[in-house]
Amino acid sequence: MMRLRCSVFAVWILALASTPLWGDNYIVHLAITIAMYSTLAISWNFIGGFAGYPSFATSAFFGLGCYVGALTQRAGLPVSAAWLCATAGVGIFAGLFGLIILRLRGHYFAIASFGLVEVLRLVISSSDSLTGGGDGLNVPLFHGGPDFVARIFLAVMVGIMVIAFAVSILVDRSRLGFGLRCIEQNEDAADMVGIDTTRYKIVAFVLSAMFCGTVGGAYASWTGYIDPTDAFDAIMTIKTPVMCMLGGVGTVLGPVAGSASFLLLEEFFWSHFLAYNRAILGAVIVIIIFFLPGGLLGIADGKGPRASFRRSLGRWLKGGPVAVP
Amino acid sequence: MLYVQMLVNGIMLGALYACLAIGFSLVWGVLNVINMLHGSLLVLGGYLTYTAWHDYGVHPLIALFAVAFALFLLGYAIQRILINRVVDMPVLVTMTLTFALDLILYNFMIVYFTATPVRVTLNLGVIDAGGIFVPVDRLAGMVLALLLTGLLYVVLRRSRIGRAIVAVRMDRSAAMLMGIRVEHIYAITFGIGALMAGATGAVFAMVYPMTTDLDFTFLGKAFIVCIIGGLGSVQGALVGGLVLGLVESIAGQFLGPQYALTAGFALMLVLLVAMPTGLTGVKGFE
Amino acid sequence: MKFVSRHCLWLAFASAIAVMALSGAPAQADDVIKIGAPLALTGPLAVESKKQEVVWNMWVAKVNASGGINVGGKKMNVKLVEYDYQSDGQRAAQLAEKLITDDKVNFLFAPFGSGHTKIVASVAERYQMPLIACSSSAETVYNQGFKYLFGLLAANGASNAIIVKYIKTKAPSIKSIAIYGRDDVFPKSMASGVAEAAKAAGLNVAYNNYYPVGTIDHSSGLSAIKAAKPDWIYVTGYTSDLILIRKQMSDLGVTAPVVTMVAGPAYKEYTDALGNLANGITSWTWWHPAVNYQGVGVWPTTQSFVKDFVAKEHVEPDYIHASCAAAGVILANAIERAGTLDHQKVRDALASTNITTFYGPIKYAANGLNEAGSIPIIQIQNKQIKVLYPDGVKNADLELMK
Repeated sequence: MMRLRCSVFAVWILALASTPLWGDNYIVHLAITIAMYSTLAISWNFIGGFAGYPSFATSAFFGLGCYVGALTQRAGLPVSAAWLCATAGVGIFAGLFGLIILRLRGHYFAIASFGLVEVLRLVISSSDSLTGGGDGLNVPLFHGGPDFVARIFLAVMVGIMVIAFAVSILVDRSRLGFGLRCIEQNEDAADMVGIDTTRYKIVAFVLSAMFCGTVGGAYASWTGYIDPTDAFDAIMTIKTPVMCMLGGVGTVLGPVAGSASFLLLEEFFWSHFLAYNRAILGAVIVIIIFFLPGGLLGIADGKGPRASFRRSLGRWLKGGPVAVP
Repeated sequence: MLYVQMLVNGIMLGALYACLAIGFSLVWGVLNVINMLHGSLLVLGGYLTYTAWHDYGVHPLIALFAVAFALFLLGYAIQRILINRVVDMPVLVTMTLTFALDLILYNFMIVYFTATPVRVTLNLGVIDAGGIFVPVDRLAGMVLALLLTGLLYVVLRRSRIGRAIVAVRMDRSAAMLMGIRVEHIYAITFGIGALMAGATGAVFAMVYPMTTDLDFTFLGKAFIVCIIGGLGSVQGALVGGLVLGLVESIAGQFLGPQYALTAGFALMLVLLVAMPTGLTGVKGFE
Repeated sequence: MKFVSRHCLWLAFASAIAVMALSGAPAQADDVIKIGAPLALTGPLAVESKKQEVVWNMWVAKVNASGGINVGGKKMNVKLVEYDYQSDGQRAAQLAEKLITDDKVNFLFAPFGSGHTKIVASVAERYQMPLIACSSSAETVYNQGFKYLFGLLAANGASNAIIVKYIKTKAPSIKSIAIYGRDDVFPKSMASGVAEAAKAAGLNVAYNNYYPVGTIDHSSGLSAIKAAKPDWIYVTGYTSDLILIRKQMSDLGVTAPVVTMVAGPAYKEYTDALGNLANGITSWTWWHPAVNYQGVGVWPTTQSFVKDFVAKEHVEPDYIHASCAAAGVILANAIERAGTLDHQKVRDALASTNITTFYGPIKYAANGLNEAGSIPIIQIQNKQIKVLYPDGVKNADLELMK
């Protein structure tokens, strides 16, 4: 089973990494975006999927990563060192912040993590001597032709995605993963049977932040310009969990499947329905929630998509609750 | 003098914040749903009021009631048809669902109303109380906000349906056993939430220029007010709103306008950790 | 076997979506010049972006009706390829790349505002794709060494000096200024620029603060300004901010002999939403329908553009309309002079542009800013926009506010 998952993932990585060979740079750009969001979704899955904590802090970590990466690069550090700084900086920040907010549960945790995005955006935009405030920051552009730059960043983003995936598999199989799942099921019980819930949660939170930081740093170098509104984006912070839900929350492959299909769908609506693309995206999310409660991998778990769809539709028409995810 | 003006500004702003958050707080408290749609419903209320006033010459105060009623129906339908079916699921599901509905509503609003800033211009003038300026439309907005809040309080306390809502909020299973139709009560509650959003939107349109992209700004305020004040109660929203209004006003004065919004959010984070039940001590769901 | 089928299913689904997403690119005709336009049709910049969309379509229709653009002796029609990037910078970069590599557009128009122009410009630069920016004036966009970026608006720095000088000359009693700016690329650079210009001109800067994006109440900032008793209040922001600030100024009794707001009052929405409160507000803009230029392109005079626009939209055009329509005119002119669609040659032709259009004179400095751009200073008098400066086109004098 695990071997199969890994091979499916490997095929997918090959498909992404080989885009420069068969597609134009737009396809490569899309592949980079997919790898970037996949990393965000895999990261979110540590805290949101395994531990069941509804985190909406993705953008906070991503944005912080953007700024740490940009600032260290501007201070003269080489690019790769800047990305490492972004990773470490965001990881440490998440550890400290997690100490405080992981005492909250459910809705309160959700709001606190959501609030973090907003607070960081405001703090960054009001400390303009350091961050340029609303003016944004320029990051030294990569030199070289568009093909070269696209390939570099494809390699970087896919690389980060592979590392994140590998960590996710390790966590899934380790004691940590087991402990997190216990916390997801029943935190008090987990505590009682001797799981150090606080430590586990903090580790999961840090894991969920680190790679967002790396990706943020790489993103800043890729675009060459960041500003607070783009770095701390409220939509991104909600999109990431949605992607995981689409794929299947708490599974290893779910975030990867979810982010890929979500982005491809989004791309399709974007280029074909100019005026109503957001509404269609919203409708797709509604359909996912009602008719694909276990995500795409969940369909495959049941007896095929049609059965699952019909089952949900039947329940929906009767007015009862739709299946539990 | 400056300080008195600062307090007056804060209180008037706070009353609007309270009114803005009350529907959100009620839905969260009773249904345990974080309603991401709330901001857009507010904007919708504002734009409908503006359209009624600008295109059909209806006085905004009359339009307010029609708009509030229309939003009640919309809210009832949304809850009955969609949210009721996932209401017991984890917060992630309900929050995402309401976010998706928000995307849909937002998209239709931007197509039909466009993003042009609009304002209901009443020109009611300003009261000058010895150097303290009190704009009449804001004062009226504040009074209206307090009236609506008071009305909701009375409805929740005195009417059959209100008592049923309170009963469901306190103990759902017990309420079910007493023969309360929980699904209906849920839908009514969400309807009231939407009604309050619509009415507040109408009040806002008289005071602020409305644009479609204010939805997330309003939603953010509702979050903060709920956390500061405590969930699901009228008093909580009132306290939370006034505190937030004063904090923003005072921080804007002493720290500079850059920090006014940051101060509100920072207060929210501190309270979340230190006092998750909010200042009024009403406990929400875990 | 069970697992195999399950993953096959997933792969099948993914590839189905992939095919769906990537198919349907329109067939390409060889005799059409394609211009890509990432637009913010939804999100906070929707109002401004819709204006761009309107005039670009107007320009395309006008050019095609006149037979197209002459490219080295061959008349070619123009086609606009547009996408909604939802006011989201990441999206803007992605769509710029899509336009260049997937839709294979020949040239790009930049989106609204300095921030997103900068993002798109860095993509265009990589592809050596000429990019015409009709709505960004912040120097920070043009000091990045971009070689393929060409703007239309006059630079902010020059504008600030002009307005400070004008106000000082016309109202010598003015000694102090309060500056209140939105913390966002363009409005912020306007606010900080005017602060410098005012200091240089010997004015006392009595208050100078920024408000964050998303502020819906300005009481505290305005109360502080009131306490500072400035002679001149200078506010920057986008239209909805400025409407709210003007309204709250009157609510709180904040007045000064001169109140300047940038860049809302040039738009009709501003006066519509404020009514009489709009009276007396000064502003400056990059263009106004009252100016009168004769020049090259499908609109030979300012009047002909205004007439076309009013016939289509039933309102007077503002500077965004004009500068974005002029972006088309400049591009067409450069293509005709280059006689080819080759990016490098058109880029060189753009760089050597020295023409007058209905919008005004255009001549590029090395950094891509239009150094010939002028800035009319305007004041709303009796709900009408009057031009105070430059002398050639003025139709009113500065009135002080009480």
